[in-house]
Amino acid sequence: MDDDENYKFAACTYFAKNHPGETCGSNGLPLTPSSVTILGRAQRLLTIEHKNLCTYLDIIRGKHERIIVVAEVIGKSLSEHTSRFSQQEVISIGVQVANAMTFLHDQNITHRTISDDNILIDNCGRVKLFNYGMYYMTDGGKEVQFPLGIPRYLSPEAILNGGGPSADVWSFGIILLELCIGKLWSNLKPGPILRRILTLVHANNPAERIAREHDCYDTYKALPDNLREIIEKCLKIYPSERATFLELLEDLKKINDQKPIDLKKARGLLGCKLQYLYYWWQLAGGDIISELKRNGLIKNSPPILSMPIAILLDGCTLGGKKNALFDRRIAKYSLKILKNRLAHISPHDFYPLMHERRKECDAVTLPKIIRERDTEYQFHRLLWFQRLLHGYPYTAQYIRAQAEIDIPPMVRGDVWAALLGVVGDIEDQYERIDKETPTPTDRQIDVDIPRCHQYCWLLCGRAGHRTLKRLLKAWLLTNPQYVYWQGLDSLTAPFLYLNFCNEARAFACLSAFVPKFLHKFFLKDNSAVIKEYLAKFWQMSTFHEPELAAHLHEINFVPELFAIPWFLTMFSHVFPLHKIVHLWDALLVEGPQLPLFMGVGILRQLRETLLDSGFNECILLFSDLPEIDIGECVKESIEMSRSTPRSISYRRFTNEPEIKDPMDAVEVPMETLLAEICPRISLTDFFSLTCQDKCCVVDIRSNLLYEKSCIEGSINVPYSGVHLGQHELRSLGLHPYKVLNEALTHKKTIVVASAEDETAQLFSEYLVKCKVPRVCILHGGISALNTHIPSLFTVPTKRNGHK
Amino acid sequence: MAAEAVQNVTKTFKYSFPTCTNEEILFNLEVPVDIPYEGSSRELVQRVLKMFHIPVYLEDDLNEKLAEFISEETKNFHNKRDAKLIDQLKNGALNVEGIIKGWEKNFKENVLEFAEQKGSSDEEVFATAYHKLVHSPALETILQVESSYAKTVMNMIQNRDEDIRKLTERQTQEMEEKIRLLNTSTTEEEINALAAKHFEEQSVASGRWESQLDALRHAQRAAHRAWLMAAIDDYQLNENVTPSNSPLCTFPPELPGPVQPAPPRLEESFTIHLGSQLKQTHNIRLVAVDILDLCSVNRGDSATWNRAQPALGLYSNDLSAVVLLAEHEPLRSPLVGLARQATEHHFDDVEIQLRDITEKVKEPAEKRNLERIQEGEGRSRNTRTKRALQPGDVYLSRHSNLADAHLVYHLVIDDEQMKAGDITSRHPAILALRNILKSASCNDVTSIALPLLLRHDLSEEMTMSWCVRRAELVLKCVKGFMLEGSGGGGAELRTLTVALPAATNQALFTALADLLSNIFRLAGPVRQNKI
Repeated sequence: MDDDENYKFAACTYFAKNHPGETCGSNGLPLTPSSVTILGRAQRLLTIEHKNLCTYLDIIRGKHERIIVVAEVIGKSLSEHTSRFSQQEVISIGVQVANAMTFLHDQNITHRTISDDNILIDNCGRVKLFNYGMYYMTDGGKEVQFPLGIPRYLSPEAILNGGGPSADVWSFGIILLELCIGKLWSNLKPGPILRRILTLVHANNPAERIAREHDCYDTYKALPDNLREIIEKCLKIYPSERATFLELLEDLKKINDQKPIDLKKARGLLGCKLQYLYYWWQLAGGDIISELKRNGLIKNSPPILSMPIAILLDGCTLGGKKNALFDRRIAKYSLKILKNRLAHISPHDFYPLMHERRKECDAVTLPKIIRERDTEYQFHRLLWFQRLLHGYPYTAQYIRAQAEIDIPPMVRGDVWAALLGVVGDIEDQYERIDKETPTPTDRQIDVDIPRCHQYCWLLCGRAGHRTLKRLLKAWLLTNPQYVYWQGLDSLTAPFLYLNFCNEARAFACLSAFVPKFLHKFFLKDNSAVIKEYLAKFWQMSTFHEPELAAHLHEINFVPELFAIPWFLTMFSHVFPLHKIVHLWDALLVEGPQLPLFMGVGILRQLRETLLDSGFNECILLFSDLPEIDIGECVKESIEMSRSTPRSISYRRFTNEPEIKDPMDAVEVPMETLLAEICPRISLTDFFSLTCQDKCCVVDIRSNLLYEKSCIEGSINVPYSGVHLGQHELRSLGLHPYKVLNEALTHKKTIVVASAEDETAQLFSEYLVKCKVPRVCILHGGISALNTHIPSLFTVPTKRNGHK
Repeated sequence: MAAEAVQNVTKTFKYSFPTCTNEEILFNLEVPVDIPYEGSSRELVQRVLKMFHIPVYLEDDLNEKLAEFISEETKNFHNKRDAKLIDQLKNGALNVEGIIKGWEKNFKENVLEFAEQKGSSDEEVFATAYHKLVHSPALETILQVESSYAKTVMNMIQNRDEDIRKLTERQTQEMEEKIRLLNTSTTEEEINALAAKHFEEQSVASGRWESQLDALRHAQRAAHRAWLMAAIDDYQLNENVTPSNSPLCTFPPELPGPVQPAPPRLEESFTIHLGSQLKQTHNIRLVAVDILDLCSVNRGDSATWNRAQPALGLYSNDLSAVVLLAEHEPLRSPLVGLARQATEHHFDDVEIQLRDITEKVKEPAEKRNLERIQEGEGRSRNTRTKRALQPGDVYLSRHSNLADAHLVYHLVIDDEQMKAGDITSRHPAILALRNILKSASCNDVTSIALPLLLRHDLSEEMTMSWCVRRAELVLKCVKGFMLEGSGGGGAELRTLTVALPAATNQALFTALADLLSNIFRLAGPVRQNKI
C-alpha cells in the first residue's frame, strides 16, 4: 500500500515504423523518421490536463526509432482487479471514463485503444485513462508497424479499416458490458474474436447477442434497465446511431448516486506538480531506461546476431533484423529515490513566501550547467519561480532579479515570456493573423526551414516545420515594414523550441524580442543598421581586446566577414540550442548592449588562435566556428558589459528614445563612426567616472593650451610630439608612461581629450597599437566639457623638473 | 489499423447576413471547407472576415456556426464512410476472411501478447553466456583457450603446407627425371599419365588435409561451446569461481615468444568535429596498411589486450567492421583463406556463410537486374548481367576470430573501372559506401575501416594526383554521409579508419593527411587562455 503510493508514473515503449530503403519526400530531402513525427505530434499531449486522464510527462526518442512514453499512473488497471465491481462502482467508473472521453473528443483526439488495461482505478475509486494518445501520436497508427488496440474492443467499422471518434463509444460499451457480465471472449484468439464482432452486424441488439453467446443472458437482463439502455446505446452497429459521450455522460450522471470523489489535496512533495516531480526525480538519478530493461521491456539482443546478409545498390537490405514485437506492458517508477533525496527538506520550504528573506543555496556559486543538474537547487528554484510566475505581471521585477541568477530549465519558456513583458490575450491576437494565405516569401521559407536547427528532434519533424512556418509568416505579416532575411528562421527557433505547444506565446516572444534587440535589422535595406552595429562591435573589441583588435585590423579581417550572422540572429545561427538558451538567458536580463560584448567574448576565447592566424586561416576558422565555452563567454560578456559606461556602446538604431541632452550625446555621423577605432564617451559618463576616480585623462593638446587650463588630474601628451610609428608607451615620456601604467593596473578607463576629433582618433589608435585597453575619446573634446562642466577645470601646478 | 487512404471531401459552408440597408436582402457567403478540417476553425473565420470584409459584429456568430458546421460535417463524414463499410459487410461485398486474416497476421507478427510464444534462440543464449563470461574473471582463461585452439589449427595448416610442399617437390623431381628421359626410355603418354597421377595425389592429399582440418574445427567448436555453457552455469552459481580449464587442451604457460615487432607503418589519427551548430566528435585514422591485414586471424600472440578487444565487443553495441573490395562471386573472396586459419566458434564457417549469401542473394538480385534491363532498354548497357551481384552491391559476413573486425562488408566493384581516375559522387562504389555507413548506424557498428582509394594495392596508373583526387572524392562523400547519418537516431560512428595501400610512400601519405585535415574540421588542441 505504502509502496503503491510511491508509484507516480510509468513508462511504456515501442518502435516507430522504419521507412523502407531509399525513399525521399516531395522536397527531395530524406523522409522524416517516423519516431520524429511521433515526437512532434505527441508534444500536444504533454499539455493536456484533466482529472480523469493520466498526464503525459515525457516522450523520449531512443536509439533505432524507439519511442518511450512516460505518463502518470494511479492505482491499478481494471484488468488487474480480480474482484467484480458493484453496479454502483461500474456506474462511477462509467461516469469518469465518459467524462474523460467527452473531453478528448472535444479536443479532437480519438482514443481508439480503450481497453481494460489502460483504465486505471485507485483505492478511492478515482479513475484515469492511461496512454490515451497512442492513436493520436502515431497519426492513426500510420507511424507504427503494429496494429493499435486489442481485438475484443475493436468496433466493427474499425475492423473494416474505418472508424471515427464514435468507435470509442463502441469500445466504451464493451468495457461497461465486461464490467457487468465478466470478461468477453476470454479464451479466443484474435481471428475468431474479430469474426464474432463482425457477425454482430446482423444482430438487432448486439449487446444482448454478446451476453447470450457468453451464457450471461440472465445476468444481463438482471441489470437495471437504465444501465442496460446505456450499454445498448453504445453498442449500435451504425456509428451514426450510437450516442455521443456527452449524452452518455448525462445519462450516467442521472443514475450515479455516488458523490463526486473529493480528495484532499496532497501536501508536501506529493502536492507539487507532477511534471516537477518527474523532473526532480530524473535529476536525483531516476533512470527511465534501466527500469524498462529490468522489466524486459527493452531487450538487448546483440546486434551482431541480426545483421543483414547483403545490401543491394539501391539500398534494398536482405536479411537482418525482424520487427521487434510491441509489448503493451508498462514499467512503473517509484519516487523513493527522490523522497530520500529531499527527505531533509523542511515542510516550510515547500511553500516559499515572496517577501521572506531567502537563504542562498551554496550551489549558486557553481557553473550554471552544474546547477541545472542539482536536484535540491532546482527544487528550491522551481518552487520559487512557480510562485513568482503566479504573480506575473505584478512580480515582473522579482522575476528579473531572480533570472539574473539563473533560470530553471523547466520554466524557461514562462520566464522568457515574463522577461520580454508578454501580457494580454496573446492567443486571440495570434489567432487573428492570417498564417495560411501564400505569400512570395513562402518559397524561401520552405527552403530554409529544413535547414534550421535540424539536429533538434522537435524542430526537424513535420509539426516543427509547420509551426515554424506559421510563426514566420505571422511575424512578417504583422511587421510589414520588415522583410524576410535569412536567419529569421534561426532567430525564431529558440522561441518555438521553448513554446512548442504554445505557438501564440512563441510569437509574442518573437514580436517582443525583435524591437528590443534587433531594431530595424530586418529592413529591406538594413545596411546602415548592420554597419553601425558592426562598427560598434569593432569598437568594443578594441576597447576590451586591443591587441587582438589591432591584429585583426592589420590583417584586414573585418567583422563584415564573420559577425553579420552573429548579430542578425543573436547567435542563434551559430550555436546549438542548448547553448543559445544560456546565451539568451543573459541577453534578456542584461539588455540590448550585451550581444556586442558576447561577440567580444567569443573573440576572446579564440584569442590565441586568432593572434597566430593570417587572413585565410581566420576565414577558415570562422567558416565553421570551433567549440565555444558559453558559460565562460556569458560570464565575461556580462562583466564587460557592466564595466563599460553606457555611452560607449551607444547605438543610434535602437528603439530607445532619442537622446536630447548634450551631456549624454555621443552620436556622430556614420562616416565618423566607421573611421573611429575607439568609442566615444559622453560627458555624463565621463563625469561619473571622474567622480569615482575610475579614469585617466590624456590631454593631447599642446602644452600651451594645457597650461592655461586643463581637466583636473589629467596628463598632457601633446599630440605633435608623439611618434606614431613607435608602439611603445615609454616613448611618450616618463611621466605619462608611469601614469598610464598605473591607470592600467587599476583598470581605469583611458579618456583621450583633444581639441579636434582627428588627432583624438589618431592618438587613440596609437594607444590601441600599444595594446592599451579601455581607450575612449571624450565626445566633443575639451571645449564641450568646458562649456558644460567648467568646474572640472583647473590650472596645472608646475611640477618640479618639468619646466 | 489505420483508416487508410481516407479521401477527404470538400463541403461548402453557407452563411448569410442582412445588408445594412435592407433587412430582407441577404449577403450570402459560401466557403469551401476540407473535411476533416486540419486547422483551427477560429483562424479560418478570421481569414474569412478579412477577405470578404465582413462586419466584425458577426465574428462570434461566425465562429460558433463554423465550428458547429465542421464538427457536424466531420461526424457525417465518418458516419457515412462507416455506414457504407457496414452495408458492404452485410451484403457480403467485402472479403471478410481476407480482412480478418490480415488482422490476425498483423497481431501475430507484431504484438507480443498474440505472438507465438518462443523463448530465446540458442544463439541468443550462447551470446548472453559468452558476453557475461568475457566480462568476468574468466576472460583470461577463455582467451588462452581460444588462442591455443587457433594455434592447433595453424599448426595443422603448417603441417599441411609442409606436406603438400614435400609432395610437390617429390613430384617435380619425378617429373623432371621423366622429362629428362623423354624420347629415351619414356614416352609422352607415360608423362601424361604421370601428370595425371600427380594431380590425383595432390587433390587426395589436400582433400585429406581439408577434411582433417574440418574435423578439427568442428571438434574444437563443439567442445568450446560445451565448455563455455558449462562454465556459465558454474559462474552463475558462484561468481567467484574461475572456470576450470577446458578439457580439450592443456596449455603450457605461455612463453613470451619472440614478439615480432610490428613493422612500422605510416599512421596518423585525427579528432574531428562535424555539424554546423551541434557538433559531433569523431575519430579518423589514416593508415597505410594492407586492408587484408585488418581482417587477419586474431593470432593472440601480441599483448592480451589486443586479443581481448574483439571478444569483449562481439556481443556488445559497439561493433567494428572492415570494408573489403570484392568480386561479384562471394566464394572467391580472399577472406576464405584468411578467416579459416582459426576456428570460428560463434558463427558459421566463413565458407558456409558466403555460400549461403550466394544462394540467398541470387533471386532478389536477379530480379533487380531484370528490372534494370527493362528500365534501361533504350540505353545500350553491356553490363554482364549474368552475374547476380553487380558493382555497388554489398554483402556481409560475421566473424569472431578476426583481429580488427566483427563484420566484413564486401563491396562488389569492377576493378577495371576503379582504375580509371574519373569517378563521380554518383558512382556505384560511392553510393555503396553510403549504404554501408547507413547500415552501420542501424546495426550498432561504431568503427569502420575502408580503403580510401577504393583499391587494395598501388598500381602504376595511380599517380600522386590520381590518389589525391580519389581520396578527396571519397573523403568528401564520406563526410557528407556521416553528417547525414548523425540525425538518424542510430549508432554514432566513433572511429573511421581510412586505409591506404601498404606500399604508400611518405610523400603521398603526408599529402593525404593534409587533405584529410582540410576536408574535416580538426578539433584543435585545447588551449589555455592567457589571463
